Amino acid sequence: MSESDMAIIKPEMMKSYIWLETSDGSIQQVEQEVAMFCPFICHQVLQKGGGSSKNNAISLPQKVNPAMLSLIFDYCRFHQLPGRSNKERKVYDEKFMRMDTKRLCELTSAADSLQLKPLVDLTSRALARIIEGKTPEEIREIFHLPDDLTEEEKLEPLKNTMDDPRIRLLNRLYAKKRKELKEREKLKSIEVEEHVDERSVDDLLSFINGRDHKVVNTSKRKKKTKKRKEHKNGTCKVSNKDSHNLHSKQRSVDETSFSLGGVSNLHNIEDDIFSRKAEFEDGYIDDEIDPALKEMLDREVEDFARRLNSSWVLSVGQERQPVHFSINGNGDTRRLTGKEGGGDEWFDFSSVTLGEASDPPEYDKVPSDREELVLDVPSSSSTSLFTFELPLSISELELLREDTSR
Amino acid sequence: MKPGIDDQSKPQTMIQEKYTKRYQNLKVAEALSNNHFYPFACNELSSIIDLGYSQLPKDLKAFIFRDCLSAFRLLPEMNTSAAVSAANLLVKSVESAFPKQKKNLAIVEFKQAKVALKRRTKSHDEHIDLPSLPQDILVHIFSFLDVSSLLSSSQVSRSWNQATSEGSLWRSLFDLHFSHKVLIHIYPGIDWREAFKNEYILYKSSKMLRSGRGYCSYCDSVVWHDNLRCPKKQCRLKSGKKPLDLMLTHQVVNYLLGTTSSSDESDSEDEAVRGLWAYPTLQ
Repeated sequence: MSESDMAIIKPEMMKSYIWLETSDGSIQQVEQEVAMFCPFICHQVLQKGGGSSKNNAISLPQKVNPAMLSLIFDYCRFHQLPGRSNKERKVYDEKFMRMDTKRLCELTSAADSLQLKPLVDLTSRALARIIEGKTPEEIREIFHLPDDLTEEEKLEPLKNTMDDPRIRLLNRLYAKKRKELKEREKLKSIEVEEHVDERSVDDLLSFINGRDHKVVNTSKRKKKTKKRKEHKNGTCKVSNKDSHNLHSKQRSVDETSFSLGGVSNLHNIEDDIFSRKAEFEDGYIDDEIDPALKEMLDREVEDFARRLNSSWVLSVGQERQPVHFSINGNGDTRRLTGKEGGGDEWFDFSSVTLGEASDPPEYDKVPSDREELVLDVPSSSSTSLFTFELPLSISELELLREDTSR
Repeated sequence: MKPGIDDQSKPQTMIQEKYTKRYQNLKVAEALSNNHFYPFACNELSSIIDLGYSQLPKDLKAFIFRDCLSAFRLLPEMNTSAAVSAANLLVKSVESAFPKQKKNLAIVEFKQAKVALKRRTKSHDEHIDLPSLPQDILVHIFSFLDVSSLLSSSQVSRSWNQATSEGSLWRSLFDLHFSHKVLIHIYPGIDWREAFKNEYILYKSSKMLRSGRGYCSYCDSVVWHDNLRCPKKQCRLKSGKKPLDLMLTHQVVNYLLGTTSSSDESDSEDEAVRGLWAYPTLQ
């Protein structure tokens, strides 16, 4: 306070109290040093001469109710004493911040309207710590906020404007795998042998990932070889499903490749492989799966993967390397169903929520659970906090829908 | 004391101690009690168990076991689904790698934690109306958040969504993550969020941030990074604006076990990343 300010203040006020009126009409008095710690009150006293008497009480902003006011003054009372060490203040602050979220919010508002910046900082940090690491659902629950965004709006900031058609193809294949998984989930409750199909999903996925079967977790591999054996001994019925799946996958991959049009590199490669496959498809009317045929297809799929990866590396250039793709085998209904805006995103929130890969283990079930659902090799860690995917335009999305509805 | 036997056992115990010491330096146990690091720490434990439990010396196995138990015990306090996911994953690793007795103990602990968790979520059922925070306060709060939390917040509600579109937030994130390696042309009306997003994708940040780990060259250790910086104050002062070298989980495990396994990710991008595994030999 400057000299002139001191002159304005009547000497009686030096040791007295300041009168304040809260939003609910109640009037109270507070020690001057404490109250003056708040810039708002300070201004009011100095510039408008308020708070000198009961009739002349300073009316506080709406957001400050009596409970919050007393909290704030506790804070002020502690901190306005210059004699306190930094450590003491820190300890006090830690303790002070321990309250439920509701009070924390109220306190933040109140402190903000009284312009008490240090307290605003403190409460903001505390709130940030609460928000950190939580999914939108959880945050909504804690803060009792309404879910008033449309699906479109939620994903609006996540839209990616990358345009590479190869990426789109892969994205489409990914989306396909996801849908198939979902269907499989439903069928699972009906058919127990369903899990045998998983292997073909894995294969196709591995080709997408360009995954070398060597570079795999040993435990996973063991499970895989187990499945391979099971598969070979499979029944006719089972192999039916499997072949049908392969069928539809190939068909859809075919289509997506043809719809790409202007991608010269990829198109040629795909043409090669898929034209050969088409031959098999035509003669593939009977339902028995030929293990030799399957092996051949597997090899071709891997070949395609390798070529895809290599051509991608070449064309994109030296500084950049193939962007890593990952999917989560979960929670995609939110993104793909009933949306016109397309699945454009670079940030997959379904990964932040409980994933299928991270479902609580059911101790009676076959341990292959974990494997078949984890499509995404790298983020087999369920807390893949971040995964991203590349855009699907509206037309592509529709194409996908067509395919799967067949 | 037969000198011959001594000589033989000495190098072995020294090696064992080295592993144990490395593990302790990793400070996994401390991270578990921190809300923010709990999922990262669980993932790391899972990776360590998956990739090398059988090779570990006996005392290190005991440490890992102890940490798994405490992870499960702390689960009820961590109130996020991310934590639950991480714990589930840890249990699966435990199931596949631990010997029978330890496995059963761990699973019992896990089940108890799940029960406690259920009880907790049931008790929270008050429908009060919280006061709505003004936009500038929201922006202020968001300025303390990391990328994923910020994006989560943008999906919460309309008012929060508006607050997250504030350019200054994304600008400071951009600064934090990329300013040391990206030159950006700043023009009036620049959309910082877009700029950030593009660099984020380019640098595969989502993958690198998955572990929560970084290597600090100033203190020569693998640390849990605090907003891409070393948690130690001196290192922060020395490094200025430069962020840590982020590490992937499998790299951390490699450091611990002295192995060279690559991650499950087979992409050729790993070529560049694999080179990083050979951090200067840390004690």
